[in-house]
Amino acid sequence: MKLTSTYIVLFVCTIFIALISGLALSKPIIATIVVVSVIKFLLVGFQFMELKIAHNFWKYIFVIYSVVIGAIFFLLL
Amino acid sequence: MTNTTTKSIAYPPGGILIWIIIYLELITFGMAMVALAYYGMQERALFHHDSQLLNKEIATINTIFLITGGFFAAKAVHCFKAKNIDRSARMLLWAMLAGVGFLLLKMFEYYGKLEAGLSMDYSSFYMNYWLLTGFHWIHVFVGVIILFFIRRSIVHKKELATIEDIEAGVAFWHMCDLIWLLLFPILYLLF
Repeated sequence: MKLTSTYIVLFVCTIFIALISGLALSKPIIATIVVVSVIKFLLVGFQFMELKIAHNFWKYIFVIYSVVIGAIFFLLL
Repeated sequence: MTNTTTKSIAYPPGGILIWIIIYLELITFGMAMVALAYYGMQERALFHHDSQLLNKEIATINTIFLITGGFFAAKAVHCFKAKNIDRSARMLLWAMLAGVGFLLLKMFEYYGKLEAGLSMDYSSFYMNYWLLTGFHWIHVFVGVIILFFIRRSIVHKKELATIEDIEAGVAFWHMCDLIWLLLFPILYLLF
Protein backbone atom coordinates (compact mmCIF):
# COMPACT_ATOMS: atom_id res chain seq x y z
CA MET A 1 0.00 0.00 0.00
CA LYS A 2 2.85 2.37 0.88
CA LEU A 3 4.51 1.67 -2.46
CA THR A 4 1.30 2.49 -4.31
CA SER A 5 0.80 5.77 -2.45
CA THR A 6 4.47 6.65 -3.04
CA TYR A 7 3.99 5.98 -6.74
CA ILE A 8 0.91 8.19 -6.87
CA VAL A 9 2.77 11.03 -5.11
CA LEU A 10 5.71 10.67 -7.55
CA PHE A 11 3.33 10.69 -10.50
CA VAL A 12 1.45 13.79 -9.31
CA CYS A 13 4.70 15.62 -8.45
CA THR A 14 6.09 14.89 -11.94
CA ILE A 15 3.02 16.32 -13.66
CA PHE A 16 2.98 19.28 -11.26
CA ILE A 17 6.59 20.38 -11.92
CA ALA A 18 6.18 19.83 -15.67
CA LEU A 19 3.13 22.12 -15.63
CA ILE A 20 4.57 24.91 -13.46
CA SER A 21 7.77 24.99 -15.51
CA GLY A 22 5.59 26.40 -18.30
CA LEU A 23 5.08 29.56 -16.24
CA ALA A 24 7.60 32.40 -16.40
CA LEU A 25 10.66 31.08 -14.51
CA SER A 26 11.08 33.17 -11.36
CA LYS A 27 12.99 32.31 -8.18
CA PRO A 28 9.86 30.95 -6.38
CA ILE A 29 9.05 28.70 -9.38
CA ILE A 30 12.65 27.46 -9.53
CA ALA A 31 12.59 26.83 -5.77
CA THR A 32 9.33 24.86 -6.09
CA ILE A 33 10.68 22.70 -8.93
CA VAL A 34 13.92 22.02 -7.03
CA VAL A 35 12.17 21.22 -3.73
CA VAL A 36 9.62 18.91 -5.38
CA SER A 37 12.43 17.17 -7.31
CA VAL A 38 14.38 16.62 -4.08
CA ILE A 39 11.23 15.24 -2.40
CA LYS A 40 10.80 12.80 -5.32
CA PHE A 41 14.46 11.81 -5.00
CA LEU A 42 14.04 11.14 -1.27
CA LEU A 43 10.81 9.17 -1.80
CA VAL A 44 12.47 6.82 -4.29
CA GLY A 45 15.43 6.34 -1.93
CA PHE A 46 13.50 5.81 1.28
CA GLN A 47 10.42 3.95 -0.01
CA PHE A 48 11.43 2.14 -3.22
CA MET A 49 15.04 1.43 -2.22
CA GLU A 50 14.06 0.82 1.41
CA LEU A 51 16.62 3.16 2.89
CA LYS A 52 14.08 3.62 5.69
CA ILE A 53 15.23 0.27 7.13
CA ALA A 54 18.95 0.93 6.56
CA HIS A 55 21.53 2.13 9.07
CA ASN A 56 21.40 5.87 9.82
CA PHE A 57 24.75 6.37 8.06
CA TRP A 58 23.22 5.52 4.67
CA LYS A 59 20.16 7.66 5.37
CA TYR A 60 22.23 10.68 6.37
CA ILE A 61 24.51 10.69 3.33
CA PHE A 62 21.51 10.25 1.06
CA VAL A 63 19.67 13.18 2.63
CA ILE A 64 22.84 15.33 2.71
CA TYR A 65 23.52 14.61 -0.99
CA SER A 66 19.98 15.52 -2.05
CA VAL A 67 19.89 18.71 0.02
CA VAL A 68 23.33 19.84 -1.18
CA ILE A 69 22.59 19.23 -4.86
CA GLY A 70 19.17 20.89 -4.54
CA ALA A 71 20.73 23.92 -2.84
CA ILE A 72 23.43 24.19 -5.53
CA PHE A 73 20.81 24.05 -8.30
CA PHE A 74 18.78 26.74 -6.60
CA LEU A 75 21.75 29.02 -5.95
CA LEU A 76 23.17 28.72 -9.47
CA LEU A 77 19.89 29.07 -11.39
CA MET B 1 17.26 -10.68 5.91
CA THR B 2 17.02 -10.13 9.64
CA ASN B 3 16.47 -6.81 11.28
CA THR B 4 19.98 -6.94 12.75
CA THR B 5 21.68 -7.25 9.39
CA THR B 6 19.47 -4.62 7.75
CA LYS B 7 20.29 -2.07 10.42
CA SER B 8 24.02 -2.82 10.28
CA ILE B 9 26.14 -0.20 8.53
CA ALA B 10 27.69 -2.95 6.39
CA TYR B 11 24.33 -4.27 5.13
CA PRO B 12 22.19 -1.58 3.50
CA PRO B 13 19.35 -3.08 1.37
CA GLY B 14 21.09 -4.77 -1.58
CA GLY B 15 24.51 -4.84 0.11
CA ILE B 16 27.32 -2.39 0.65
CA LEU B 17 28.94 -2.79 -2.79
CA ILE B 18 25.91 -1.67 -4.78
CA TRP B 19 25.50 1.33 -2.47
CA ILE B 20 29.13 2.34 -3.00
CA ILE B 21 28.47 2.16 -6.76
CA ILE B 22 25.23 4.14 -6.35
CA TYR B 23 26.95 6.95 -4.44
CA LEU B 24 29.87 7.06 -6.87
CA GLU B 25 27.43 7.35 -9.77
CA LEU B 26 25.37 10.00 -7.99
CA ILE B 27 28.51 12.02 -7.25
CA THR B 28 29.76 11.71 -10.85
CA PHE B 29 26.43 12.71 -12.42
CA GLY B 30 25.95 15.31 -9.68
CA MET B 31 29.24 17.03 -10.53
CA ALA B 32 28.34 17.09 -14.23
CA MET B 33 24.92 18.57 -13.42
CA VAL B 34 26.47 21.21 -11.17
CA ALA B 35 28.85 22.11 -14.03
CA LEU B 36 25.83 22.40 -16.35
CA ALA B 37 24.06 24.69 -13.86
CA TYR B 38 27.25 26.77 -13.48
CA TYR B 39 27.66 27.27 -17.24
CA GLY B 40 23.92 27.93 -17.47
CA MET B 41 24.30 30.73 -14.94
CA GLN B 42 27.00 32.32 -17.11
CA GLU B 43 25.12 31.96 -20.41
CA ARG B 44 21.55 32.14 -19.19
CA ALA B 45 19.91 33.44 -22.38
CA LEU B 46 21.68 30.89 -24.58
CA PHE B 47 20.83 27.98 -22.25
CA HIS B 48 17.23 29.16 -22.03
CA HIS B 49 16.95 29.23 -25.83
CA ASP B 50 18.53 25.79 -26.24
CA SER B 51 16.45 24.26 -23.45
CA GLN B 52 13.24 25.48 -25.08
CA LEU B 53 14.12 23.34 -28.13
CA LEU B 54 13.83 20.20 -26.00
CA ASN B 55 10.55 18.30 -25.84
CA LYS B 56 9.20 18.59 -22.27
CA GLU B 57 6.24 16.31 -22.98
CA ILE B 58 8.49 13.42 -24.05
CA ALA B 59 10.71 13.96 -21.00
CA THR B 60 7.66 13.96 -18.69
CA ILE B 61 6.38 10.70 -20.21
CA ASN B 62 9.88 9.25 -19.83
CA THR B 63 9.90 10.25 -16.17
CA ILE B 64 6.57 8.45 -15.74
CA PHE B 65 8.09 5.38 -17.45
CA LEU B 66 10.99 5.35 -15.02
CA ILE B 67 8.99 5.86 -11.82
CA THR B 68 6.53 3.21 -13.03
CA GLY B 69 9.44 0.83 -13.60
CA GLY B 70 10.77 1.70 -10.15
CA PHE B 71 7.39 0.99 -8.60
CA PHE B 72 7.17 -2.46 -10.21
CA ALA B 73 10.78 -3.26 -9.30
CA ALA B 74 10.10 -2.35 -5.64
CA LYS B 75 6.94 -4.49 -5.76
CA ALA B 76 9.01 -7.38 -7.13
CA VAL B 77 11.29 -7.25 -4.08
CA HIS B 78 8.29 -7.21 -1.72
CA CYS B 79 6.68 -10.17 -3.52
CA PHE B 80 9.94 -12.13 -3.43
CA LYS B 81 10.24 -11.54 0.32
CA ALA B 82 6.65 -12.79 0.68
CA LYS B 83 7.71 -15.93 -1.26
CA ASN B 84 5.33 -15.02 -4.08
CA ILE B 85 7.83 -15.85 -6.82
CA ASP B 86 5.43 -15.84 -9.77
CA ARG B 87 4.12 -12.37 -8.92
CA SER B 88 7.67 -11.16 -8.34
CA ALA B 89 8.66 -12.36 -11.82
CA ARG B 90 5.60 -10.65 -13.28
CA MET B 91 6.48 -7.38 -11.55
CA LEU B 92 10.04 -7.56 -12.92
CA LEU B 93 8.63 -8.06 -16.41
CA TRP B 94 6.54 -4.90 -16.07
CA ALA B 95 9.56 -3.01 -14.76
CA MET B 96 11.57 -4.16 -17.79
CA LEU B 97 8.79 -3.10 -20.16
CA ALA B 98 8.75 0.37 -18.57
CA GLY B 99 12.52 0.52 -19.04
CA VAL B 100 12.25 -0.51 -22.70
CA GLY B 101 9.54 2.13 -23.14
CA PHE B 102 11.95 4.74 -21.76
CA LEU B 103 14.77 3.60 -24.05
CA LEU B 104 12.63 3.64 -27.20
CA LEU B 105 11.06 7.01 -26.45
CA LYS B 106 14.48 8.46 -25.73
CA MET B 107 15.76 7.14 -29.07
CA PHE B 108 12.78 8.79 -30.75
CA GLU B 109 13.72 12.05 -29.01
CA TYR B 110 17.38 11.66 -30.08
CA TYR B 111 16.28 11.08 -33.68
CA GLY B 112 14.24 14.29 -33.64
CA LYS B 113 17.16 16.26 -32.21
CA LEU B 114 19.60 14.94 -34.80
CA GLU B 115 17.11 15.66 -37.61
CA ALA B 116 16.86 19.24 -36.34
CA GLY B 117 20.66 19.56 -36.34
CA LEU B 118 20.87 19.73 -32.53
CA SER B 119 23.95 17.57 -32.22
CA MET B 120 26.78 17.81 -29.70
CA ASP B 121 28.48 20.54 -31.75
CA TYR B 122 25.42 22.80 -31.70
CA SER B 123 26.16 24.43 -28.32
CA SER B 124 27.60 23.77 -24.88
CA PHE B 125 24.07 23.07 -23.61
CA TYR B 126 23.63 20.31 -26.20
CA MET B 127 27.08 18.90 -25.51
CA ASN B 128 25.99 18.49 -21.88
CA TYR B 129 22.57 17.20 -22.96
CA TRP B 130 24.03 14.44 -25.15
CA LEU B 131 26.68 13.40 -22.64
CA LEU B 132 24.40 13.34 -19.59
CA THR B 133 21.37 11.72 -21.23
CA GLY B 134 23.57 9.40 -23.32
CA PHE B 135 25.38 8.00 -20.27
CA HIS B 136 22.06 7.75 -18.47
CA TRP B 137 20.55 5.87 -21.44
CA ILE B 138 23.39 3.34 -21.21
CA HIS B 139 22.69 2.91 -17.48
CA VAL B 140 18.99 2.25 -18.15
CA PHE B 141 19.94 -0.25 -20.88
CA VAL B 142 22.24 -2.07 -18.44
CA GLY B 143 19.47 -1.88 -15.81
CA VAL B 144 17.01 -3.63 -18.14
CA ILE B 145 19.58 -6.38 -18.82
CA ILE B 146 20.15 -6.83 -15.06
CA LEU B 147 16.37 -7.08 -14.46
CA PHE B 148 16.19 -9.65 -17.28
CA PHE B 149 18.82 -11.85 -15.63
CA ILE B 150 17.29 -11.45 -12.17
CA ARG B 151 13.93 -12.50 -13.55
CA ARG B 152 15.47 -15.44 -15.33
CA SER B 153 17.19 -16.58 -12.14
CA ILE B 154 14.04 -16.42 -10.01
CA VAL B 155 11.96 -18.20 -12.67
CA HIS B 156 14.43 -20.94 -13.65
CA LYS B 157 16.74 -21.29 -10.63
CA LYS B 158 14.43 -20.52 -7.73
CA GLU B 159 16.57 -22.36 -5.20
CA LEU B 160 19.68 -20.30 -6.08
CA ALA B 161 18.04 -16.86 -6.14
CA THR B 162 18.68 -14.84 -2.97
CA ILE B 163 17.00 -11.70 -1.75
CA GLU B 164 20.38 -9.93 -1.60
CA ASP B 165 20.95 -10.50 -5.34
CA ILE B 166 17.49 -9.28 -6.22
CA GLU B 167 17.76 -6.23 -3.97
CA ALA B 168 21.16 -5.36 -5.46
CA GLY B 169 19.91 -5.60 -9.05
CA VAL B 170 16.78 -3.63 -8.28
CA ALA B 171 18.86 -1.01 -6.41
CA PHE B 172 20.83 -0.47 -9.65
CA TRP B 173 17.53 0.05 -11.44
CA HIS B 174 16.42 2.60 -8.84
CA MET B 175 19.75 4.40 -9.26
CA CYS B 176 18.73 5.09 -12.89
CA ASP B 177 15.50 6.60 -11.48
CA LEU B 178 17.43 8.77 -9.04
CA ILE B 179 19.76 10.16 -11.70
CA TRP B 180 16.86 10.92 -14.03
CA LEU B 181 14.88 12.64 -11.25
CA LEU B 182 17.72 15.20 -11.15
CA LEU B 183 18.44 15.29 -14.89
CA PHE B 184 14.80 15.94 -15.78
CA PRO B 185 14.50 19.32 -14.00
CA ILE B 186 18.03 20.54 -14.74
CA LEU B 187 17.85 19.86 -18.49
CA TYR B 188 14.17 20.31 -19.31
CA LEU B 189 12.58 22.57 -16.70
CA LEU B 190 14.97 24.98 -15.02
CA PHE B 191 16.46 27.01 -17.87
